[in-house]
This record gives sequence, structure tokens and C-alpha cells, in this order.
Amino acid sequence: MLAVIDMKVGNLRSVLEGFARVGAEVQIAQSPADLEHAEGIVVPGVGAFGDGMACLEQQGWVATIRAEVIDKQKAILGICLGMQLLADGSEEHGMHRGLGLIRGQVVRLEPTEPGHRIPNMGWCDVTPHRTSSVLFGHSSVETFYFAHSYALACADAADIVATFDYGRPLTAAVERAHIFGAQFHPEKSQQPGLDFLDRFVRHVKRA
Amino acid sequence: MVRPRLIPCLLLKNGLLVRSQLFKVHQDIGNPMSTVMRFSNWNVDELLLLDISDHDYHDLRREDLQQQYEGDTALDVLRAVSRVCFMPLAFGGRIRTLEDIELRLASGADKCVINTKAVEDPDFITQASRRFGAQCVVVSIDAKRLEHGGYEVYIGGGKRPTGLEPSSWAREVERLGAGEVFLNSVDRDGSALGYDIELIRSVVGATSIPVVACGGVGAYGDFAAGVTQGGASAVSAANIFHFFENSYPFAKRACLDAGLAMRPVVLGSRWNPREPIYDQAQADTRIASRLDLARRGPSVVAAGRPSGRTPIRWCSRCVSPTISAAPMEFDDAGVCSACRMADMKTAITAEEWQRRRELLRGILERYRCTDGSRYDCIIPVSGGKDSYFQTHVIKHEFGLNPLLVTYNGNNYTDVGWRNVHRMKEVFDVDHVFYSPSVSLLKRLNRLGMIVMGDMNWHAHVGITTLPIRVAAQFQVPLLIWGEHGYLDQCGQFSMDDFPEMTYRDRLEHFARGYEWNYMVGREGISAQDMIPYQYPADQVLFDLDVRGIYIGNYLYWEANDHARMVIEQYGFEISDQPFERTYRRMSNLDDMHENGMHDYLKYIKFGYGRCTDHVCKDIRAGLMSREEGIALVRQMDHIKSRDLSRWLDYTGMAEVDFDRIADTFRDPRVWRVENGEWVKDNLWDESSAQ
Repeated sequence: MLAVIDMKVGNLRSVLEGFARVGAEVQIAQSPADLEHAEGIVVPGVGAFGDGMACLEQQGWVATIRAEVIDKQKAILGICLGMQLLADGSEEHGMHRGLGLIRGQVVRLEPTEPGHRIPNMGWCDVTPHRTSSVLFGHSSVETFYFAHSYALACADAADIVATFDYGRPLTAAVERAHIFGAQFHPEKSQQPGLDFLDRFVRHVKRA
Repeated sequence: MVRPRLIPCLLLKNGLLVRSQLFKVHQDIGNPMSTVMRFSNWNVDELLLLDISDHDYHDLRREDLQQQYEGDTALDVLRAVSRVCFMPLAFGGRIRTLEDIELRLASGADKCVINTKAVEDPDFITQASRRFGAQCVVVSIDAKRLEHGGYEVYIGGGKRPTGLEPSSWAREVERLGAGEVFLNSVDRDGSALGYDIELIRSVVGATSIPVVACGGVGAYGDFAAGVTQGGASAVSAANIFHFFENSYPFAKRACLDAGLAMRPVVLGSRWNPREPIYDQAQADTRIASRLDLARRGPSVVAAGRPSGRTPIRWCSRCVSPTISAAPMEFDDAGVCSACRMADMKTAITAEEWQRRRELLRGILERYRCTDGSRYDCIIPVSGGKDSYFQTHVIKHEFGLNPLLVTYNGNNYTDVGWRNVHRMKEVFDVDHVFYSPSVSLLKRLNRLGMIVMGDMNWHAHVGITTLPIRVAAQFQVPLLIWGEHGYLDQCGQFSMDDFPEMTYRDRLEHFARGYEWNYMVGREGISAQDMIPYQYPADQVLFDLDVRGIYIGNYLYWEANDHARMVIEQYGFEISDQPFERTYRRMSNLDDMHENGMHDYLKYIKFGYGRCTDHVCKDIRAGLMSREEGIALVRQMDHIKSRDLSRWLDYTGMAEVDFDRIADTFRDPRVWRVENGEWVKDNLWDESSAQ
């Protein structure tokens, strides 16, 4: 069973429906205790980094998530803001600390061409950087839906499993052992996105 | 690089999709679920759903439809849609508070579209952006061109001027925290004149957030200019996506051909197949509980269903009821959309009909076979007066060589049988006459009755599937249908839409949401048994460019005139004895139940029957007064016709079981039980009260 953390803001239902469509058993985690029996954890999220972290801190999620992921080695998938929250911190509206599961900082997108609009809203080609990975399998370039104004600058380039081009390559997805994140919204990326969720679900089942 | 998006915009009014013109005229298209399912199957880039209802209430209860809704608010519709929507979904309409946004996101929206509230309270944009993120806040701007140049922002559904200028307002909403602008041209809405490029360019130039352009698209080729000339990040349209087979893939291909770096056309999704995936266990339960309810009788049936909120009314010109099988709108004068449509049709000038005839000629010539390898077109025929008229026009007026295709549902009357088999001789054409096994038909008759209160499901689906299968098999891209039933019956489209046959129409209206695979495993029916009802794959239709046009959109259509002509010229026979449920003798000779018990079931469900339909048409055509019509309706609508005994023998069902199953489909907004009897309000009571 996957536990999807209820962040109060964000498209929780879309994430649940996405996982349901690929046949996964999902539950909404309302409190940290709900993570205990989950095989995998999903951190969805749209909105601001500071608010997202505040939500996790106020209800005591931070320690539990770290314990489940670091000590119990449970798989975690962060989606969009959820991926950014995995990082050390963010510069969005002031400096904020993150979950510290992926080393790096979240920084604002910088347009380098006139066609670049912020937020970056739309479909971008995502290029996997490993010949085989949990999140991308053996697939080649596919297109996913993004909606964000900030991006994760990883401290360890080895964590970056896929990039998209925004004047220069930016982090599209991270994968470090059992810690996963996607800047795009797989639950809203039609067939390639549902395939992506399916690969994560099957990985959790195997683990 | 971010790819430009192609975004269908759906307008939702009281739970149903509507077509809009100039922000004023709304016509029902159908339910949102089947359209959104189609969009997921087509891998659509994004979807914009705007609820334009004046009040947040709908009542979509129909026992005979596969899709069921829980609840009666826009949020309930959104929740149902979210189950089948795997593209980004922007939802708008009546958003006034942060809680409204939170509820919409929790119900399946990914972003929220704000219009009136943004103008009335600009600070709301900032609050929403701070709480939910800029990417969640789409500000919709409705711009109207001013008489002496320039534009003005309108709110309240395009009704209230604001004094704001669109590009400076767009710049302001960006400063306040909006993440996207949805820009609609009020003047171009439903006009098919193409985008207002000047407007788009001015707003794009004033902002650095993405701008979605909408309003005016009338052809697939109109989209690209929104990006190439207007500079928009995404292009959107509403009406065009409703009316043509594979509309989105064809629109996408036109954009790609114009050089836009959009996502490619991808037909089919393994997670969202075109044919619905039914929860067969749940379906079994629904059938079992219906049969159980039937056994327990009318008072139990009635007790389980609260009645409607508003009493039923009838059109003040014809006699159409507000609760009907075909979706209909009524205007402030109490006139139905079908009458308004008939007015529009009557107002079409001879020159305009001539122009339409030439449009038809253009289509026919485009698809005419030039090398002798195939037929020029396919005409699906039942052998009725319309079939004769279509074949007459195609063969003798335009000189094409059609292939006639008939689905034989085994319900022909003797006269109808002679008529259909005469066609190949009097028109000198080839004819495919396709007859499914009688044992299968009997089982489908029974299932149709039990599942949806319509023994003729097989016929409706067979007629709208088999000719397309033959088209694919014989590689004939063009099918010629007669009249679009819903244009005539309920004024569903504008005469300028030129709607064509689509899979969505077939599944939603003809099949009521019950695709062929629903039947598999019931009454011992296998997938192979259902071959006649399996629609060809989208890729096949896309590659062949299959189109099913309705010639009623191009040629003046008056059924009574057609009947006279085909009787005189081709020896078409009308019924030698009158039908019991309608006074017309020239319709539905191909199916003894269509004018009989099939139609009686419509009366059971909605409280009116074919006599009402025919009276409405004849009132609109000026052949009958409303009073004469009411007298006929009173005399015929309720009659239980004699073909019932054939049907009961044919399928082995007892009359009492038939009646009781039928009762479970009665619409609670129409029927109630008084002293153990079903009663309803009647048209003639309303007339005497006036």
C-alpha cells in the first residue's frame, strides 16, 4: 500500500486517481502514524516551499518521514513541490530548510530566452541520463507536464536521473537508492506519466 | 523548451456540456464524462473546464444511462471527471473564496480559473497565489472589441464592462501573482472567424506569464496562428472539438503541419482505452437490484426516488417537455431550443442553401474515387424514406457510386422489408445487407430491456457501427448519413457547426454509455459474438480520414416532402395500416418496435413518446396547430402497442415482468405513484390552466 501525504494544499485527488488508474492500492495519510503500515510514501504538492514545509513540521511529519525513509528504507516519491521538499532547502520567498533527503537547493527559474515564461507551464521533453532506472526503465525521451517556477539544483549530479531543457539542462527527476522525485506531474502526463507511476508502484511492490 | 499546448475548453452548464455562441446562446452537447474519457484516450495536452451555470445545481438522473453521478453540484461533476482525467485540468466558474479553490483542488482540479472575482477583488489573486502557488491561479480575461478601436475587459459571463484594458489588466494580474492568463475574445466566441491576433499579441507582449488564446476557431487550420502570430503559449477552442471524429488528433496534426513543436498525435492509451472498462461485478449488482426492485412493485420503486426540484413544463410553441430523452434548453420565453433551431433553419435563404449544396459538392468531389479501386461513399440505409432520399441525392444529383449498407435487426415490417430490398434495383447500386444471428439478437433484446429499458440497443449500436466497419474494410472514407437527429429533435447544434458522426456520439447517445464489451459474459455472449458492434480503432479511422457527414446540414430537409418524392419516383411504400403510437405512416418501417414498444418505453421513462416528437416537427413545419397536436398526443402517447406480444414471444419474457422492469426506469421528475398508480402532470392540464 502507498500512503499519499495530505498536504492540505494541492491536487491530492489527481495524484490518488493517477495511482488508482495504474492499479495501485493507495491511501491518504492524514497523520504521521498513517505511514507506519505503508510500503511506500508519496509526497505530492503544489504551492510554496515554505508553506509546504510548515505543513509538514506543524503536524510532526518531518521526523517520521526521515525515520521511515532512512531507518526503514521505505521508498519515497516526491512530486513537483514534493520533490523540492526532499532537498536541503529553498530560496522561495526567503530561505527554508527541507527534508534533507536529497542534497541540493531549490532555486528560481531564470529565463534565458524570450519564449521562456514563468511559471514554466506545459509539456517538456525529459531526457533520462541512465541506461536503466527505476523511474524511467529503459525508455528514451518522453514528454511530461510541468508547472513550476523553481527547480532543484542537486549538489550531487549522480542523483539526477533525468533532465529537461530550459535554456540549460535542469533537474526533471532524481533517484538516489530508494528516494525518488519528479519535478513534473506524472499523474497529469497522460500515458507516459501513468507509465512512470506504474514503474514506481512496481518497484515498491518488489522492494 | 516547453511545447505549445492545444487545449480543449469545455463549458459546463447545470452538469451538462454546452456549446456557446457570443456568450449568449447555449446548446446542450452531452455529459462531460464521455468527452473527458475521449480526451484521456487521445493523450490531450490539457483541459479547461468552465462551469457557466447561474446556480450550482444539476439533476442528471437517468436510470437508462450507464454513467451515474453522485450528488448534484459542480463539485460532484468535477469529482466524476477527475476519475477519467489524466491531463492537467483547469477548472473555473463561481470561484469567490480561498475555500472554493481548496475544494476544487481537493475534487480533482489542478488549477483554478478566476474571472469576475479577480476584477472585483484583485487582492484575491495575491491571496490565492500565496496559498496555492502561482501555477494554480489562472486569470481568465474576456475581452470585447470596442467600436472605435481598442478592447475592454468584460466580466459576469461577458455581460458587464469594467473599464479595464486587457493588456494592462493582464500585466496587473501577473504583478498580483497570477500564473497564467486565459484570454477569450467575446466577439469571436462561436464565430468560426479565427483568433483575434491583435488582441492576443497585445496581451502576450504585456506579460511574462503564459497566455492561453481562445475564441474564434472554426477550422483546424486556425489554431497555429495563435502561437505563430499571436505568441500564445497555448491555443484553445471549445465548439470545434465536439463535432468531428478524432477532432483533437486532426487539430493537433494541423498544428504540427504548420510547424508548431507540439507533442505528437498519440491515439490510444493503454491506461485509458477508448472502450470503457466496466466493473462487471458492480454492473451485476446494479442489474440484480433492478430486477429485485421490479419484483417489489411501483410503490417501492417510487419511494426510493425523490422527485425533481422544478415541475415539468412544455415548450410554449411546440409540445416538447423540459424533461426529455434528448437534451434541450428553454429560453426566457419558454421556447425550446429545437423550435429556435427550426426558426434558424427557416431563416436560411435560398442563396445560403445553394452555398451549402456547393459545400457538399466540394466534400463529395474530394472523396470521390478516381481510380476505380473503391466505392465513392457509403450510405447506411434502413430502407426508409430518408434512405431513399439520401441515395437519390448521392446517386442521381451528384452522380456518385455509393455502397449501401444495412444492419438487419430482424424487426422489419413486411412493407419495410420490400422497401429496403427494392433499393438495389431502383437505384442500381450494390448493397451489403448484414444480419447478425437471431439467437444473439434475442439475447441482446432481453439484455437491452433489463439493463437500460430499451430492447433496441442492438439496433442503435449496430446501425452506428456496422457501416463504419464496412467503410474501414472497403477503404471508403466518406459515409453519408441523413439528418442529425438531435439537431432536429432538440436543437443541439447550430446550423453552422456541420456536426459529423463521432464515436462519442455513438457511445453516449446511441449506446447510452453501454459499449459492446458491457454485454460480454452476459447471457452467454462472447466477444466474438459482438463483432458487428465493435467500432474500428481510432488509428484506422484517422489514417483513412473517415468522415460521416449528415446531408441534412447541406440540403433542405423536410421529411414529408421526401416521402412524397420517393413514393412517386421510386415506388416507396408507406405502411398500409396505421401505427398505434403515431399518426405518421412513413417512419420507422424498418423496425416494428421502433414506433411501438421501444417508443412506449420512452413514454414510460420520460412521459412522452413519438407522437409528441412528430407533432413537434409538424408544428414547426407549420403543418399543424398546437391544439391539434395536443389532441393527438393525448390520444396516442400512452398506448401500449400490439408489437409487444411479438416481442414477448421472441424473447420469452412475461408481460408482467416487462411492465415491472419498465417501471424501474420511470423518471422521478416526471412520474409519481398515487393510490398505487403511476401518474404524471399532463400537457393538456397545463393548457386548460392557462
